Amino acid sequence: MAADNHTLTEERPRRHRLEGPQKHVIAFIFSVVLTLLAFALVMSGEMNETFIYIMLVTMAILQVIIQMAFWMHMKDRGHLFPIIGILAVPSSHLPVSLWHFIGFGGKQPIHN
Amino acid sequence: MSAHSHADGKLPHEPEKATLEGRNKVLGFWLFLGGETVLFGTLFSAFLALRHQVGEGNPTGQELFQLPLVALATFLLLTSSLTSVFAIQAMHRQQTKQLISWLVITVLLGLGFLILEIYEFYHYVHEGHGFTTSAFSSSFYTLVGFHGAHVLFGICWISLLIGQLMKKGLTVITAPKVYVSAMYWHFIDVVWVFIFTVVYLMGKVG
Amino acid sequence: MTIKNRHSVFDCRRIFFLIGGLEAILIRIQLWKPLNNFVSADMFNELLTMHGTTMIFLAAMPLLFALMNAIIPLQIGARDVAFPFLNSLGFWTFLFGGLLLNVSWFTGGAPDAGWTSYVPLAGTTYSGDHGVDYYVIGLQIAGIGTLLGGINFMATIINMRAPGMSFMRMPMFTWTVFITSALILFAFPALTVGLAALMFDRLFDANFFNPANGGNTILWEHIFWIFGHPEVYILILPAFGIISEVVCTFSRKRLFGYSSMVFATMLIGFLGFMVWAHHMFTTGLGPVANALFSIATMLIAVPTGIKIFNWIFTMWGGSIRFTTASLFAIGFIPTFVMGGVTGVMLAAAPADFQYHDSYFVVAHFHYVIVGGLIMGIFAGLHYWWPKMFGRMLNETIGKITFVTFFIGFHMTFFVQHFLGLLGMPRRIWTYLDGLGFNGLNLISTIGAILMGIGTVAFLINIVITAAKPRNAADDPWEDGRTLEWAISSPAPEYNFAQTPLVRGYDALWKEKMDGNKGMTPAEPLGSIHMPSPSILPFIMSVGLFIAGFGFMYHNYYIGAAGLIIMFACMVIRSVKDDHGFHIEPDELQGKGVKA
Repeated sequence: MAADNHTLTEERPRRHRLEGPQKHVIAFIFSVVLTLLAFALVMSGEMNETFIYIMLVTMAILQVIIQMAFWMHMKDRGHLFPIIGILAVPSSHLPVSLWHFIGFGGKQPIHN
Repeated sequence: MSAHSHADGKLPHEPEKATLEGRNKVLGFWLFLGGETVLFGTLFSAFLALRHQVGEGNPTGQELFQLPLVALATFLLLTSSLTSVFAIQAMHRQQTKQLISWLVITVLLGLGFLILEIYEFYHYVHEGHGFTTSAFSSSFYTLVGFHGAHVLFGICWISLLIGQLMKKGLTVITAPKVYVSAMYWHFIDVVWVFIFTVVYLMGKVG
Repeated sequence: MTIKNRHSVFDCRRIFFLIGGLEAILIRIQLWKPLNNFVSADMFNELLTMHGTTMIFLAAMPLLFALMNAIIPLQIGARDVAFPFLNSLGFWTFLFGGLLLNVSWFTGGAPDAGWTSYVPLAGTTYSGDHGVDYYVIGLQIAGIGTLLGGINFMATIINMRAPGMSFMRMPMFTWTVFITSALILFAFPALTVGLAALMFDRLFDANFFNPANGGNTILWEHIFWIFGHPEVYILILPAFGIISEVVCTFSRKRLFGYSSMVFATMLIGFLGFMVWAHHMFTTGLGPVANALFSIATMLIAVPTGIKIFNWIFTMWGGSIRFTTASLFAIGFIPTFVMGGVTGVMLAAAPADFQYHDSYFVVAHFHYVIVGGLIMGIFAGLHYWWPKMFGRMLNETIGKITFVTFFIGFHMTFFVQHFLGLLGMPRRIWTYLDGLGFNGLNLISTIGAILMGIGTVAFLINIVITAAKPRNAADDPWEDGRTLEWAISSPAPEYNFAQTPLVRGYDALWKEKMDGNKGMTPAEPLGSIHMPSPSILPFIMSVGLFIAGFGFMYHNYYIGAAGLIIMFACMVIRSVKDDHGFHIEPDELQGKGVKA
């Protein structure tokens, strides 16, 4: 550890190629397409509610993975899946459990 | 590479991670975002648990939500996420001017998003969907409002950084700040993906 | 008000511990005989709420944080924590959150809805005065400090380890603090949301927990316990770490099964998030949920059992020294086992319907929190006191502390198991004669007073020690195994003049065994960069404190003013670069001795 926190420490040997904007534009287009698809799915109507829910959530998760991979610079160091695992498990298990306990899938209130 | 703003000469390739302080900042911010994920996860839980509790005679989400407006807001925020990536790329090329312009565009897009959201809330209140109307309305405003407050904070933060960049230039001290604010901005965008899915689209379905 | 507040701040945290202890003794005096009228029923509710809240949030955790602050950088061979500014901010927000909570005593009534603050009891319908507002806002502010602390320790442990200090060479205390910090990070935001929702309900007429407008009271229980159960492990894991250190040092043996200890800690942390609904067995979640949470809870006994056996095997065949720290650690083991066993009993859902809300539960969690955590903290304080303050605590008074505290503790809480089984409900103000509760309650009260005597003995010890010269040796126990014992007592401001090179687990012990005098330095002697002290964290916390009052009394100008103070400090912090200062090599020698 360097004594002075502001001095430059020696750089680790790492690839330093500068990326062009192409990949990020592709990720952006992917995100836009997924978003449009989701909106279109809902606006078209006439479909099984459960099916729409599953599709919506799947597309949201897909979009988030794409954005995290390309935009939050995680794919570079192989951190993507561990981080998604660490973040997704604690943040999703409360909603999923409540689905079971309070039953927010149904339209009728269970309590009171 | 001609645009050197740093008087001492060339910066390292990843100036945000060149110092121990910078590396600490990036790591600490990742951890902070982990906590934020749980924060929003819990807010989503509360919203999901209460979203059908509209009450007699109050407008439901199905009646309230206007998808074109939401789609426009989504597009603005999504684009701002892309522009903040461009800002970081400019930073890595050490082009301070481009970096600042991309950040300005990001802030403007965020501002547009925020104006749309304020208009939306204003409109809902007039439709009889106030904060205290029902459990649905309370949890709706809390979830979306927490996100909106995050956007507002991000706008102020990045504006402050733009000022610092203009004054101090790109250095190993300012670079981690810019990098971390971009992480924050992406995170806000990711949360919004779930908000438009869970709150608006699923609310429109029923 | 320096950034590095590790030594000076100790006192405020101890004062909260004393307030919580005083509340406990008042509760016990009220219950010493049937139909006692020592305090009113309202006062009793306030006392028990504030006792629980103070002990968990303002005494236990901050005391642990104080130890972590003092010891973690030393154990990993770092000059400081990763974020000294946040460290200071975390301390001040904690202090002002705690102050805000305790101001409620003087402004018309403390919170009285229990430390769990269940709705609808904590809602405006049944708690119309400001008591619960103080709970909600005070804990919210104090919670910021805890969250910042968690992030700080994680970043410190990941990024600031000395060369050679790999993860699997880290001392056990560092490991447990690492896992605890991760739990803080993932558990506290849930409390933030719960408190915010309750605050909105109470102050701004929101409907989260108001069934009349579609709110759901069960939601509070879920949110509270998804935070609340990991919180229990946040408290106990560092105590496990302390016990591991103390047991090794005073058995003169390497920790038995180090890697199994590490994995047991991780497993406890992981499972800690899967068991929150065992606090809600009687809520009516259904047999499937109850069965699953029951099994998950019992699973935790496995890694905990691993730890217990590892400590016993560490002592087995060691040459054990019975210092005060060692006594507390040895006393911890059977006590904690008893708390664990009643935990498994409570985890059996059908049986829990009998135990629920009785004194059996009170006995159980005091066995794990007092018998586990407080004993661990006492062990840690006696063990690291010379490293923190440069003076050895008096061993004779220490042993008096141990004996009175240990006996008092078991007297207080052992009988409460039977009170619970006899049917005495928890949180009641008084009880009738002739129910068979009299004798056991009397014993319990006497025990509580004995614990009080033990604590007073400890305070006397501190005062006496403070008057003595600072002459503790670098390695006062002579069998120190970890890096903190390689530097002077108390640790200098910069911890290590030269960052040490770590060559194995139990870094200092390895050097001793190889016949070296101390650690091998990993860098030449050079100037050391230090962060400047800053007053901003203090002002920010004052801002939050003012904002809390403003919102509580619906004076939004004051509320906004407080928030503006806080944000202004954030802007100043961002704009003003902290260049810090340097300590030059020629200053190091003199400073290293007295510091």
